[in-house]
Amino acid sequence: MVIEQYTIATTPKYNFPQPSIDTTLPQRFIEQSIRSLKHVQNQSFQLNQQAFQQADNIELHAHTFHLKMQPIILRSNHEETPIAACDTSTIKVGETSRGMLIAVRGANVWKHRKNYKYTRLGPFIFHITEENKREVYETLEKAYFLSAHKQDQNSVNLFQNPTRIASLLERWLQATLSGTMHDGLVLFDGSLTAGTADTPAGRLKQILTNARECRNIVLAFSKMTNLRVNGYLITDVSLQQRDPLLLETAGLRPKPPIILLGEVYVARLCHGNYAFRMDIDKENSTERRIEGVEKLLGNDILTQGYPETLRLAHILCTFTANEVIAMQYFIARKYGLRIINRPDMHKLLFGPYGRGESYS
Amino acid sequence: MKLYKKEGNILQVLSFPNETVEKGDYLLVDDVEAGKALIAQIIDVQFASIPGVLEELLRSLPDGGEIMQGEDFDPLQIAPYITYIQDASLLVCKIRATVEKDSLSPSSAWLPSRSQSIIKKLPIPTLFKLAKIDGKLPIVIGGTKDSSLLTIDASHLDGKLNIITGKKETGKSHLSKLLMINLVGYRATVVVFDLNGEYISLGMTSDGKRNAHYDKIHVLTPGQNFKTALRQLNLHVLLGILIHALHLPGTSAREFRRIWQSLRDRDMLNLHELGEAIRNWNCNQHVRDALSSRYHALINTGFFTDNAAEATLLEDCLYKAKEHGGAVIINLRNTSTIDRQIVVEYVLGKLVEQLTSWKLKATFLFAEEAHLYLRETYWDDIVTRMRHFGIFTTFITNQPDTIKENIYRQADNIFLFNFTNEHDLDVVSRAARVDAETVKLIARDLPPHHCLTLGKVVKDFPMVVKIKALDVRTMGETRLFFTDTS
Repeated sequence: MVIEQYTIATTPKYNFPQPSIDTTLPQRFIEQSIRSLKHVQNQSFQLNQQAFQQADNIELHAHTFHLKMQPIILRSNHEETPIAACDTSTIKVGETSRGMLIAVRGANVWKHRKNYKYTRLGPFIFHITEENKREVYETLEKAYFLSAHKQDQNSVNLFQNPTRIASLLERWLQATLSGTMHDGLVLFDGSLTAGTADTPAGRLKQILTNARECRNIVLAFSKMTNLRVNGYLITDVSLQQRDPLLLETAGLRPKPPIILLGEVYVARLCHGNYAFRMDIDKENSTERRIEGVEKLLGNDILTQGYPETLRLAHILCTFTANEVIAMQYFIARKYGLRIINRPDMHKLLFGPYGRGESYS
Repeated sequence: MKLYKKEGNILQVLSFPNETVEKGDYLLVDDVEAGKALIAQIIDVQFASIPGVLEELLRSLPDGGEIMQGEDFDPLQIAPYITYIQDASLLVCKIRATVEKDSLSPSSAWLPSRSQSIIKKLPIPTLFKLAKIDGKLPIVIGGTKDSSLLTIDASHLDGKLNIITGKKETGKSHLSKLLMINLVGYRATVVVFDLNGEYISLGMTSDGKRNAHYDKIHVLTPGQNFKTALRQLNLHVLLGILIHALHLPGTSAREFRRIWQSLRDRDMLNLHELGEAIRNWNCNQHVRDALSSRYHALINTGFFTDNAAEATLLEDCLYKAKEHGGAVIINLRNTSTIDRQIVVEYVLGKLVEQLTSWKLKATFLFAEEAHLYLRETYWDDIVTRMRHFGIFTTFITNQPDTIKENIYRQADNIFLFNFTNEHDLDVVSRAARVDAETVKLIARDLPPHHCLTLGKVVKDFPMVVKIKALDVRTMGETRLFFTDTS
């Protein structure tokens, strides 16, 4: 008996909505990483470790801003919905005489049925100097978003560069998720604020458009916020109603060129005093936004009110001390860098009263 | 490998996964500039305390305790470096000696350079050469980890107190047989108290044929081919048996002495006359009863006879062994506790007698589970007094706490097999020739038939050795119930 074998071909790309970005592996990241590292060969470098916080809370001043005190009570929607999240992380691995060595890593996590899966990209190590900071950033930006955002890169502080490169990778990951998943929830770390140097409005708009075309709902979670009503942080408002609930905000008018592409809510998604600022793509109807949050409640684990998928994305991209040591070892071995132990001037001058890190 | 810390005589060395070293291995910490090197032995291997490892491990298991499925795109191939760092180990080492201009000293008082020192594994043959572990009378006891043979000098067992200990079925008896056969090979006289009849077939190969030692192994089984006549006994040997094995009170012993002298003067030293003399002796009734009960105990052993043809002269066996080397195996299998003590008292008494009169030069005594037949006061006797007569004892036991602490303190060589019990290791670690950490950390991980050799035979360089196989018929196997069903 002959078993009939069907010819199984890979799914043609045109079956998916065509995103305006390339979803193949970030080759440019590798090229730029290696290229920048080649310039640093056989130098000496000072071990140093410092995590950069991404500026994901660009806050807005608006006198008309207020919270609607009538909460939206949420009910879990258990309709099976794929959930995906992404996050990136960057860390300074060391300093050279000309600049600094940084590492960037991103992670996509998705939950399907009861299992979480991930794709992790990186670490990419860059040697950033005053001379190459513009070239590195623009090359990456052009490669992934086809055009470079018009901004004078020379005016950007060298120390802002790591977070900007990480933001670039994060936007690329967000674009990839939004444009390849269907009928799901895409969770972003941070807000849906655009018009900043890191996040040009057009780029975030495009990501959100792609998400809508694929019938995805984008929910952005901010772990910290500076938005205040009557002097109180919006996440500190106490309510009598039982969780889970959403509080709507109104009258939030950012200063140009900053724009908000999401409706801002205060989300209390589980019992306990855990509230987050949540931005939901404002091009979705109110009902669809609420449906998105209810599907999140029904499909993901929410410990301390924070979605597990997003928590895992954060955990997977974060650098551990062990990894930093390994990267320093890698750089020293592969590029012949000599590790030096430059004394900490604070410690040197002020002894035990000196602040700052100790590199011993 | 990198030198990390030195505290007292403990060194901590950082080692990476491609550097394959294990517990028991020796390292040479060479400070070229100082012109000196430390010889240190690895006594424990731990994970290096790498920051962030816990986080690394935790994040790989968030999916309900199972490893999370995923794909890593690692273009710079950093993952192997992460694993490399994560798997770095910390070698806890004990400094054994300092090498300076090819000579060894036990000093650990200097500090080698942390940055400049070159650390490498010290091959065992090189260590043997440096420590001069060889000798004119070599005994190969087995192979070390790097496949070189550990050869000890038989003269380092001469005049020494040795202990072979370890838990059951780790190979203690095997090693004692190996030492014994080699000593016999060097024409030594060996006496073995064989509790389980394990040594009786030492003259046979594993397939039942006679081996080269066949004529040198003399097996004496009390009550069978090993009996003694009263005429052959010295009074003090018999009194030793009565007092120590049969607990005869002092007053009764005095009366017995009189009876004995009376019989000897009349040339009537035999069992029948002894019984009659006790019955008719003019003495206190209690004394008579005490003597009578001991007399019947002696009769019941079957070890004493009036038939001169039946009596085997222990002396004859010892003389044969003295001439050509040989082992006198006292087979104590199937003997009761009292009988065992009587036989041991007799043998030890005879040995001392022979040695004090210089009829024998010296004897190696192998005593298995000696607490089962050796009286309390003999322990001190054996390690102090009897050593001067020329009885050099090797104790073999799986219960180290049955050997007194002062014996461990005076032991010259210890052959330590696996122990997992903390209490057992505590007892052994009291030995003067070794530090407690070495005993505790190395011995608990020893595989079967591997032994940590300590003491003079290895010039105080503790050595892990796999005891070599012996082509003799083994008799010490445990009798099993389920043998037919397997």
